[in-house]
Amino acid sequence: MVNSNVDALGIIFPNSHDALVPELVGERLMASIPFASRYRIIDFMLSNMVNSGIGNVSIIVRKNYHSLMDHLGSGREWDLTRKNGGLNIVPPFAEKTVKVYSGRVEALASILDFLRHQKEKYVVMSDTDIAVNFDFSAMLKAHVESGADVTVAYTEEKLPENFLANRQESKEFYYTLKLNDGRVTEMEINSKDTGVTNFSMGIYIMEREFLIRQVSYAYTHGYVNFERDVLMAQLDTLNVQAFCHKGYIAHITSLKSYFDENMKLLDEENLNGLFTPNPIYTKIRDDNPTRYINGAKVNNIMAADGCVIEGEVENSVLFRGVKIAKGAKVKNCVLMQDTVVEAGADIEYLVSDKNVTITAGKEVKGTDTFPVYVAKYQTV
Amino acid sequence: MAKEMIAMLLAGGQGSRLYALTQKLAKPAVPFGGKYRIIDFPLSNCVNSGIDTVGILTQYQPMVLNEYIGNGQPWDLDRLHGGVHVLPPYQKASGSDWYKGTANAIYQNISFIERYSPQYVIILSGDQICKQDYSDFLRFHKEKGAEFSVAVMEVPWDEASRFGLMVTDDNDKITEFQEKPKNPKSNLASMGIYIFNWDILKKYLIEDEADPNSENDFGNNIIPNLLRDGRNMYAYHFNGYWKDVGTISSLWEANMEVLDPEHSGINLFDERWKIYSRNSGMTGHRIKPGAVVENSMITDGCQISGTVKHSILFAGVQVEAGAVVEDAVVMGGTVIKAGAVVQHCIVAENVVIGENAVVGAMPSDGEKGVATVGSNVYIGDGAKIGPNAMVSDNVKGGEEQW
Repeated sequence: MVNSNVDALGIIFPNSHDALVPELVGERLMASIPFASRYRIIDFMLSNMVNSGIGNVSIIVRKNYHSLMDHLGSGREWDLTRKNGGLNIVPPFAEKTVKVYSGRVEALASILDFLRHQKEKYVVMSDTDIAVNFDFSAMLKAHVESGADVTVAYTEEKLPENFLANRQESKEFYYTLKLNDGRVTEMEINSKDTGVTNFSMGIYIMEREFLIRQVSYAYTHGYVNFERDVLMAQLDTLNVQAFCHKGYIAHITSLKSYFDENMKLLDEENLNGLFTPNPIYTKIRDDNPTRYINGAKVNNIMAADGCVIEGEVENSVLFRGVKIAKGAKVKNCVLMQDTVVEAGADIEYLVSDKNVTITAGKEVKGTDTFPVYVAKYQTV
Repeated sequence: MAKEMIAMLLAGGQGSRLYALTQKLAKPAVPFGGKYRIIDFPLSNCVNSGIDTVGILTQYQPMVLNEYIGNGQPWDLDRLHGGVHVLPPYQKASGSDWYKGTANAIYQNISFIERYSPQYVIILSGDQICKQDYSDFLRFHKEKGAEFSVAVMEVPWDEASRFGLMVTDDNDKITEFQEKPKNPKSNLASMGIYIFNWDILKKYLIEDEADPNSENDFGNNIIPNLLRDGRNMYAYHFNGYWKDVGTISSLWEANMEVLDPEHSGINLFDERWKIYSRNSGMTGHRIKPGAVVENSMITDGCQISGTVKHSILFAGVQVEAGAVVEDAVVMGGTVIKAGAVVQHCIVAENVVIGENAVVGAMPSDGEKGVATVGSNVYIGDGAKIGPNAMVSDNVKGGEEQW
């Protein structure tokens, strides 16, 4: 391998944390949620891997993955249409009945054979509930230098608000780390710590052979959860090191946080934090540039190509192909692809999914703490 | 596998009348319409018409063009059999030649065309902005039983003498060809787009090559020779939008017309006839607090804090607070600093326009010049570029150039 490439393969779990955003994953999964005006959230992790020199990426899908397949195609936009490696989408395996994995251990067990036949020495694993510009090669370097069995990436930050709020029992776990000189001594599930914590990013690096051994053992013993049943159970014997990410990060943990994280990108510093130093790739739609027609009034927005704007827009994020007619008012909104806001409509604090139409003269307003969500193809 | 029709795209033109814009790149690679290059139009027309094999004949400054075309993937022209091929002049066992003329360029690539055994070859030009369905042109060619057809546009009679004109009978059969005549007998101007039966084209190319006095040009040699021999030649009427963007003013005008599709007829917003291009890969554009944007086209990566009126901005253009951009075409990566005024002009790629600099001016009595700034030029703070200026070198702060 030349220096610019790393000797690792990537594994992405696109369905992890689906349950946090039930509205947005009605017909898709976490990985294919549109984000930042022209991306899907998986674009960040895929681009990070590719930019770090990882050219062999497996995506183990669980359900609702049509939109993801459509988005990824052959992987060309991420330069993952490769003879060796490239993009590998692993659907649930059907034998008599379709078996859907219930935990990461099962998911990995389903590709053990594949893993055994790869040539990369290391494995990088990640979920897709975060948008971040992340350098896997730096993390791998730290992993190798520390001699760790496993390295986990984390950020030092407060836990998302909705994680701290009392809520119904959730199947989605999140992890916080207790560290001693870089080594993880304790992992806590669903902590309610209100201070700054070591919040796991769900990104792991380990040797491929190590992963195969651990998963084979765990699977045959009926374990399901990788963090709880494999890592946490062996923290005293395994050398689990932590790698701190200092840069910008966007967590999608609820519809509200989805809204907030889009809005935060209207701030220059945040946008640069997410899109530098390395480029983020996405599927191309070949839209024409966005047109601002006479009468348009815009202030503080981010917009993708293909929009036609004749009305007023303020503090909003517009995805590709959004149409805002004359006299319409859009304020503090996140409007996904091909949303149409007809003449005279007045919307505020609204998240519209793809192909939503807000008909003429309608007034729909949420609040800053509770944005209204309009589902895919709905007409208001 | 034989192809019914393949396309040969003449992209070797220097575009010398675009001056500063074509110093480092061929005319077909000149950016157009916010996110396109001129060559995107014929290439997209090909793929939208079902033509999947295109040879691009390059000669002048081909680097940018070669890199832009790449493997043809953005136009869906990365094909197993066929696809897009860039064809520069090459060295042969018997020596090497530049392309001497349009016909010679095709002649030198006869073996490329033969690989696909086409029945028909369409000759396209890489310097026109036009959305055209070549399959309809081919249908016409076949219906007429033609050996050669040329696409023609009706032009105003008083302008006719600037064009190559086709004189036709009632059945669209060509009876005479007049190249820029003083006394036009027709107002049907050739668009420089031809369909040939391949066997006929090949025969005339070989014959033309053998004539030492020939200029090896389609208009001056091949077409007159076909007429001389009484071949079946027909004129196909095209009445959509068509613009030869060979001059600064016509390039500027065509860009401005994109802003007014309802009247100008060039519609880039047609879902059924998309124009494809290589993507910048930048994030969505930002209209920041305090910015004013009116009747403009803005694409990915732009950051607008100033005022933008009736202009086209390409990917990654920055307009700082207090800057004014009006009636302007600003190409990718250009930065317009605070307080600068940029009007009625074309600014090429990766230019920096310093604070409070002035580039171009709105037209006043008798003064309609389109100021032009070439790529990678640095215009210093407070510099002044007059409405007729053609700038291809850096201009120091405070200096004036007219």
